Amino acid sequence: MTSLKPMRSIGVTFFAAMLGLLFVAGFVTPASAQDEPAVGPKPPVPFRNTESHVGDITGHSADGKLPYRRYCAGCHGDYGDANGENAVWLDPKPRDFTIATFKCRSTLTGTLPTDQDLFNTIGRGLTNSNMPIWNTFSKQERADLVAYIKIFSPRWEKEKAGVPITVPAEPPVTLESISHGQALFAKLECWKCHGLHGEGDGPSASTLTDSKDNPIRPFNFAAAGNDSRFKCGSTNQDIYKIFMTGVDGTPMPSFADVIQPNDAWDLVHFLRTLQVHRKSRENDILMAAHGVIPPYVEKKTGSLAPAASANEKVPGGGQ
Amino acid sequence: MSNKRFSLVLMMVLVASSAMFAGTVSGKVTYTGTPAHMKPIDMSKEPSCAKQHPTPITSETVVTGANDALDNVVVYISSGAPDDGQIPTQAITYVQKGCQYIPHVLAMHVDQEFAIANDDQTSHNIHPHPTVNIEWNLSQQAGSPPIKKQYDKPEFIPVQCNIHPWMHGWFAVLKTSHYDVSKDGGDFKLPNLPPGKYTITAWHESYGTQTADVTISGNETKEVNFSFKAKPY
Amino acid sequence: MRMWAQSHLCQKQRHVISVLAAAFACMFLVLCASQSASALPAFARKYGLRCSACHESWPALNNFGLKFRDNGYQLMNDRDAPIWQNPGYWPITFRITPIWHRVSSTQNVDVYGPNGEGGYGITGTTIQRITSAGFDLSGLDFHTGGTLEKNISFYVLPSSDPTGAFHFESVNARLDNIGNSPWLNIRLGRFELNNLLSEKRTLWLTGNGGIYQTYHFIPVNDGNIFGQMGDNQFGLEYMGHSVDDKTRVSASLLSSNDGNVNLTTGSNSYSGFFTFDQAFDTGKLGMQRVGVYSFAGEAATYYRTLGGAPIPGSGIGNKGFSRVGFYGQFYFGPHFDLNVVTQHGEDNAWFGQGYGNAVATDGNGGTTCAGPAGSPGCPPNNTPGSTLPTGSRAPTWNGYTFEARYVYSPQLILKAVYEAERMSQQATPGTAGNLGNINNYSIGFRYNPFMTSRAGFAYFGEFNEFQQIGTGPSNSLGNATNTSTSELLFGMDFDF
Repeated sequence: MTSLKPMRSIGVTFFAAMLGLLFVAGFVTPASAQDEPAVGPKPPVPFRNTESHVGDITGHSADGKLPYRRYCAGCHGDYGDANGENAVWLDPKPRDFTIATFKCRSTLTGTLPTDQDLFNTIGRGLTNSNMPIWNTFSKQERADLVAYIKIFSPRWEKEKAGVPITVPAEPPVTLESISHGQALFAKLECWKCHGLHGEGDGPSASTLTDSKDNPIRPFNFAAAGNDSRFKCGSTNQDIYKIFMTGVDGTPMPSFADVIQPNDAWDLVHFLRTLQVHRKSRENDILMAAHGVIPPYVEKKTGSLAPAASANEKVPGGGQ
Repeated sequence: MSNKRFSLVLMMVLVASSAMFAGTVSGKVTYTGTPAHMKPIDMSKEPSCAKQHPTPITSETVVTGANDALDNVVVYISSGAPDDGQIPTQAITYVQKGCQYIPHVLAMHVDQEFAIANDDQTSHNIHPHPTVNIEWNLSQQAGSPPIKKQYDKPEFIPVQCNIHPWMHGWFAVLKTSHYDVSKDGGDFKLPNLPPGKYTITAWHESYGTQTADVTISGNETKEVNFSFKAKPY
Repeated sequence: MRMWAQSHLCQKQRHVISVLAAAFACMFLVLCASQSASALPAFARKYGLRCSACHESWPALNNFGLKFRDNGYQLMNDRDAPIWQNPGYWPITFRITPIWHRVSSTQNVDVYGPNGEGGYGITGTTIQRITSAGFDLSGLDFHTGGTLEKNISFYVLPSSDPTGAFHFESVNARLDNIGNSPWLNIRLGRFELNNLLSEKRTLWLTGNGGIYQTYHFIPVNDGNIFGQMGDNQFGLEYMGHSVDDKTRVSASLLSSNDGNVNLTTGSNSYSGFFTFDQAFDTGKLGMQRVGVYSFAGEAATYYRTLGGAPIPGSGIGNKGFSRVGFYGQFYFGPHFDLNVVTQHGEDNAWFGQGYGNAVATDGNGGTTCAGPAGSPGCPPNNTPGSTLPTGSRAPTWNGYTFEARYVYSPQLILKAVYEAERMSQQATPGTAGNLGNINNYSIGFRYNPFMTSRAGFAYFGEFNEFQQIGTGPSNSLGNATNTSTSELLFGMDFDF
């Protein structure tokens, strides 16, 4: 077989050199060597190195800066003060990291969330808000972002994250537990904001504001379809944590001091039935009872009283 | 001499001197002009509270008494008396009763523990809105034991119950041991002041702050009065 | 949008060096003059995200942008349906690219001299390098896309060449997440194939660098107009992906007409395109994605004729072709990534001998010829009685594309591409084994001086050099030389 005159090889050599150069540059450039934003206030806190620990991954704030500016700064602001250029268009407003008050925690109200909590929030996103589901990041990248948002508040230096609450094993769903949950829903005044049918239309709903005085709507359980999810997750465990720890920065209080763990599960089971368009075990059981929740008959143990002893219904219950 | 021992001696001297030369500042808080009309609160959505108030109560943003007296004004030493760091030991309680906060303004020392009690037949949530202290938000149902809390930074913190949106109150967290809240006709009293020059600040949730300077030279009572200009809205 | 310039190249290394020096000088100036950034602003406006959230550098997608696209331009939150948007919101984006443009290539030119008649005239031809330069425009795109309702998406892209001639680059509707499952999405229309390294989202704008040669390569004299993975095709696509988009799979049934309208080819020529890719979390290095694709089908080689002229749409005599290969996107930390595409291609021997679309169509990759089939410049028609030359074989080749990107920050990206197309078997025995081989390489940068969710604006510059063996002008001995073209662009790329 014959062969024609070959191509000049200088170009290939040159390309290989460029490739090598870019490759090396990719490793030697420090992560902090990005151009600083030209506008915006000065950082309220000096940059310091913070870490996050999620499982066996350690996140570093220095590595979080690049993804923060890429993905987060448009809303949360270059300095974490919720003053990104999009913030004005958003409702609800983005989190202000300088206050370090977070909605989704496994820890008690008023405490800092764990790194795992923040890590989960990034990957889960927040429904009914503009916070997307950032589940395409590498775990390392998410951990780096968790570390990075800590630089914005001195609280992370002075305080330790709270201790995650214990979520006991879930008892089986029964019509009785749904019924008890409904009684709790009334007793604990949940309906005052969320409405009797969980549609977010309770008598106090229209008065609610968040901690920055922006109007805020109570969660509407009935709105979404089968993909209905809560602010901080979609499993029964997540619902349990949401009302036990509260949604800080919003009118939603923590019920950790008022609900016994087993009662809390009953409330979880009832709340599931408010998600009328979502398939759930709770809705199946309610459906089998023709959609009627029987009135709750108070047990002799008086399970509503906080001083009551651990409910014997649940094996391994209690704190 | 170690710093610790020095401060101990200093403290003893201070305690001794305050006992020996205990001055007092007392006075009255009044207003001029016409305060806004306080609207009656409709508690019909919470019958258990409504029935406790045969005549509807009004909101407590401005509480006045006879002779233009102004209540719920926090009067405190804002400078002149270094905070001795002594946290008052008496128990203070913030009570939710009849869907009202009693007292409307709870004054306390930094780091002082206070209790929040629910005397109502309904559940409340206690949602203070601090900006420098840490925010929390707790539910408290009828019959629950009191919630114990404290704040570690001075701040005037509005308190709200989201379930009963008419419920508003205040925590006045102060970095001084000398404070009072005007009541029963605008009276206040700051006892046990050692000799010295002081600045006294009066704070009202709607009318802002006023200050007055006073010098205590010995065992005497000085009268300082504050007069706030009422806002018609 | 891309330059369709046919151009030519600097022989002298000195040229390359001076051009590069100019490129870096410009880059430096641009960097000094900058202020504060940029994507498809229609989507960015809708969701309030910066361009950088979805684009590694606009228009190339990052993993989050890929997930957004795979979900049918939805973030999968409660704001996806257009009912949530301000009524004044209309999801349209203009993209225009004014540039300064320099093209250089080797061409045959006439030689003037004393001729035999005692006068002065054309005495022959020689090969010269022709260089043209000046201000230019690379076209105009109207992107409009989004959701019609939750889980029903559309995309329409009327695109104009620099002269204002429009065609529909993309027009499709898509049913997303059928039965609430991300594994079931159906798209109908003209769309870009599910290429992991997207050509329509290329960072490149030059004529030869703005397309991936590996996606378009066809052997010299090959008559198969189809088999071009880079062109948007008409068809029906199934696409599925995991919730986090780490696993992606697609299968498309396509008409073998290279995206042309009006059914000008045949009635029963279809092809199938399959892809599968999987991402892996490799810790500090980032997400690595590897995948495979396979493209196989049939296209017509025989057109029925009337009066000897092929009848459009009458194509039969289907022959097969195939393209299979590997995709990879490898991150080496947050700043550097390398994209790899390989291909092994094979066309039926009939195609290799030039049989294919005998009908003169408008093209867009298609064949254009003036006369009947088989006349000069027109492909032959596999009419009854046609036979292949003795020893004809199926042409086969291998292609390789490497694209490296260095992301300094979301606002500045440096990039380089090298492509190699290598024939492994020529259709006709005795043909030079390297005829048609391609070397194509480009370097460039894009810089977004500001980054917001409202508009995109970038300074860019790039240099491309393209060489193909045996397809250039003939030399004095009548032998074909190599095509050699270089191209340089500087300009502004903006979209709003």
